[in-house]
Amino acid sequence: MKEYDLSNYVCPLSKIKASEALDALSELKTIKLILGDIDSLKSVAQELKKRGLKPSFNREDESRFVLIIAE
Amino acid sequence: MTNRETLMSKKQNNNKSNHDLRVYTDITQLIADPDNPTPLVRVNRSNPNQEFQIFLKLESYNPFGSIKDRIAFKMLTSLEIGGKTVVEPSSGNTGIALTCIANALGIPIEIAVPEKIPEEKKVLLKFLGANVMEADDALCPLFPAEGARGLVNALIHSPATKDTYVSPNQYENNLNVQTHYQTTGPEIWKQTQGKIDYFFAGYGTCGTITGIGKYLKEQNPNIKIIGIEPDSMDHKLPGMKRITGLSEDLIPKILDRSVIDESVQVSDEDAYSAAIELARKDGIPVGPTTGAILYVAQQYAKTHKGLAVVISPDDAFKYASFYKDIINTK
Repeated sequence: MKEYDLSNYVCPLSKIKASEALDALSELKTIKLILGDIDSLKSVAQELKKRGLKPSFNREDESRFVLIIAE
Repeated sequence: MTNRETLMSKKQNNNKSNHDLRVYTDITQLIADPDNPTPLVRVNRSNPNQEFQIFLKLESYNPFGSIKDRIAFKMLTSLEIGGKTVVEPSSGNTGIALTCIANALGIPIEIAVPEKIPEEKKVLLKFLGANVMEADDALCPLFPAEGARGLVNALIHSPATKDTYVSPNQYENNLNVQTHYQTTGPEIWKQTQGKIDYFFAGYGTCGTITGIGKYLKEQNPNIKIIGIEPDSMDHKLPGMKRITGLSEDLIPKILDRSVIDESVQVSDEDAYSAAIELARKDGIPVGPTTGAILYVAQQYAKTHKGLAVVISPDDAFKYASFYKDIINTK
């Protein structure tokens, strides 16, 4: 599973990077996204909803949100 | 002396330039100032009442084609760049001006633009060599309807990119106001011989209306300052911003409402119609934001007397595709 640590990007850069990662989902099958703030989480969640994807979600701490997304 | 210091020095010594012969040692010396003002041209056949004289301040006569040339030079030459890449959100005009000046200084630059600006502006930026990032208006929930601004904010604040980028940030940069206070305002006062009664300008970054408004009010508190905004958030007036209904944190921090007497809203249709009428009756090709501002002045003309100055931020040529859409539907 390929991991994309986007915790150093704030919104909307995190969303742009996440979208690029999601574009490769059909090839990679499963990816892990790590986000660093709540605004990034909200905007990436919007993008996932738009694409019809349901991630598994884990909040590791106040500034680390982990999403596992399968095709 | 660095390129930047050389250009700043030349501009500061601009009064030594020979504006009669119009011979210059670099392009930035052509940027307007009280010794080299942009023209003030009277509107004749498009004015319904000649007792309310309307003059257009034609900012397209700046070397890079718009009012933004004035602030771009000041902001860029005052910025501590330190080897970083300059990045700025722009609906086109600031980006074009910044890129031209950055090119003259040898500074790398990236411009974030809304997807909806005219194709001509995007092509021009790419022609100038800027790295152009197109941003969907809805890209960033922190800046609803201003994705380009959100993108630059992220580049400046993300731990991964903040050491790479620096931004003049025209929305918060006091030089945006100061430049108009020191140049455009005094030019208008001098060109009208202090007889101006009304000043019309659009809301955008709000540097123009705040800087000029403040200067004119200090000369004569009776001068009326009228601000123009689009009548909806979804408009086709690039560079103009609807202030009404915006949350306080999204309103440009440099806006000083105390200098503004009245705000008026204009539709795209009225703005484009006024611009087209001006081109066809007075032979002055202006951009749609000028059309919006002029439309309001024309409404004033029906019931007022006096001398009015309307800011014309740029000309029609960068909006050919937008005008084409309007003309084809009429």
